[in-house]
Amino acid sequence: MAKEAIPGVEWVPGTGDFIKIIEEKCNGCGDCVRVCLGKCFGLRQRKAYVKGLEHCFECAACWFVCPEDAIDFSWPKGGTGFRTEFG
Amino acid sequence: MIDFYHCFAEVSDMEKYDVIVVGAGFGGPVAAKKCAEAGLHTLIVERGQRPGEKVVSGTYVPLFGAPEWIREGNPPLERAAYGWRYHFIKGGDIYLSIDVSFPFPISHGMYCRPMCTWLAEQAVKAGAELRTSTTAVDVVKDKDFVKGIVTDEGEELRCDILINSEGLQNLLAIKAGIRKKYIPDAIELCLEYDFEMDSADIDRIFDNRIEFHFAMPEEKVIAPLGQGSVVYLFPYGNSLHTCIGQFLKHDGEVAQTSKLLEEYYENYFQTKRWKEVIGPKAKLRAKMWDTCPLYVGLFPEMHSMPRCGNGILLIGDAAGFEDTSSGAGIANAWYSADIAADVAIEALKAKDTSAAFLAKYDELWQAHPVLPRSISDRGRRNLLQAQKDEATMVKLGFEQWFNSVYDLIPMLNEMKPSEIKAMLPKV
Repeated sequence: MAKEAIPGVEWVPGTGDFIKIIEEKCNGCGDCVRVCLGKCFGLRQRKAYVKGLEHCFECAACWFVCPEDAIDFSWPKGGTGFRTEFG
Repeated sequence: MIDFYHCFAEVSDMEKYDVIVVGAGFGGPVAAKKCAEAGLHTLIVERGQRPGEKVVSGTYVPLFGAPEWIREGNPPLERAAYGWRYHFIKGGDIYLSIDVSFPFPISHGMYCRPMCTWLAEQAVKAGAELRTSTTAVDVVKDKDFVKGIVTDEGEELRCDILINSEGLQNLLAIKAGIRKKYIPDAIELCLEYDFEMDSADIDRIFDNRIEFHFAMPEEKVIAPLGQGSVVYLFPYGNSLHTCIGQFLKHDGEVAQTSKLLEEYYENYFQTKRWKEVIGPKAKLRAKMWDTCPLYVGLFPEMHSMPRCGNGILLIGDAAGFEDTSSGAGIANAWYSADIAADVAIEALKAKDTSAAFLAKYDELWQAHPVLPRSISDRGRRNLLQAQKDEATMVKLGFEQWFNSVYDLIPMLNEMKPSEIKAMLPKV
């Protein structure tokens, strides 16, 4: 069920892979790593990869900054992902 | 009281709506309520389990121009603000403060989840249907017209007009081919903390004022102005909400927000007022972040993107109605939702949902007393230049915030500018 890793926020599992790296487009610049407060991304062999989306607030900062449009951003499945009473 | 955990409108395969509203944030329910009251078969689709639970925004909203049913309907407001305090931080301490106060509440604080849930309740009471835990993943198109949405369950829900209130990501409008994504230079990432705080302490420390803290770049407690926001402190009923923002990109460089925002907070928590006055009374209970559009109206390519198309109207952040002065787009979401609903009602009466007919939306928002200014005002953007020199920054910084007050109140509250000006301190 939902878990709380950051205070005041729950993550409901079952999101699906709502953020994906399109490898052939990724130039390995690391901008997604630089902006993500949830530390969802890493770099290996000059390509970004999704480490995990458990701390993702669905803000799409990664998608906005990617210079190559190499991030496939969609919404998590309905009723899943982050939720908070204090936003 | 509606049970939003299990809110699921039963829809037969062949059922068609007059209007589908995507997003039960601040704007969506306002549009849906008006459409439902006009007798339109209206559905709201919300991806969260409950309306507003995915909206992160330190929120004080001027209610002067809000629909009457919001102002008079006893919504879940946290606290009224009778003004602002501007603190200018130097050497870790406040060296200049200006208090701007009014004899009436200038704006009201609210948490997004309870407020959006309340708004959605009013729409449902008016006859709109609501489906929560449902993500709209695509639009249904028929020739060149948007004719509905596809849900994450693969279901097609059809309508004559789609009102998209999806927020700044605006995925459906991009899929519909009428918008492009915003550029990162116009997107701020805001890190927000929420603290429990005794209401008596809030009264004593904040005296019903919102606080904005400015600082020169070398203080490193906030992003340099123009690259981000001042520090906001929003005192609520028995809690305090703080926000520090940084643009994702500035002068061609992508900011390392993952590190910077945490650093700003660490430094801010070492400033004297926080350490000695606020911090000892505040107990952290939540940490969150979200992207927030700011200045999209100042970039011509984004300002001029369409706000409607065949069978689709955009409202709120999805339409670029952020506020370039204050960054507060919620009132704008309400204004645009109200106008979009009027146009949708007229279009369905005329049986014409073409972009040419819906362009009436553009005429109406351009004639609104607030919307055109709020997406074109350059005052805050110009602060970037002011920060080169301390005295200029203080002068221009404060004047900028005052100007947004001058603009807002006389138009909406029928007060004379001279009356407002008399209440403000000299800088």
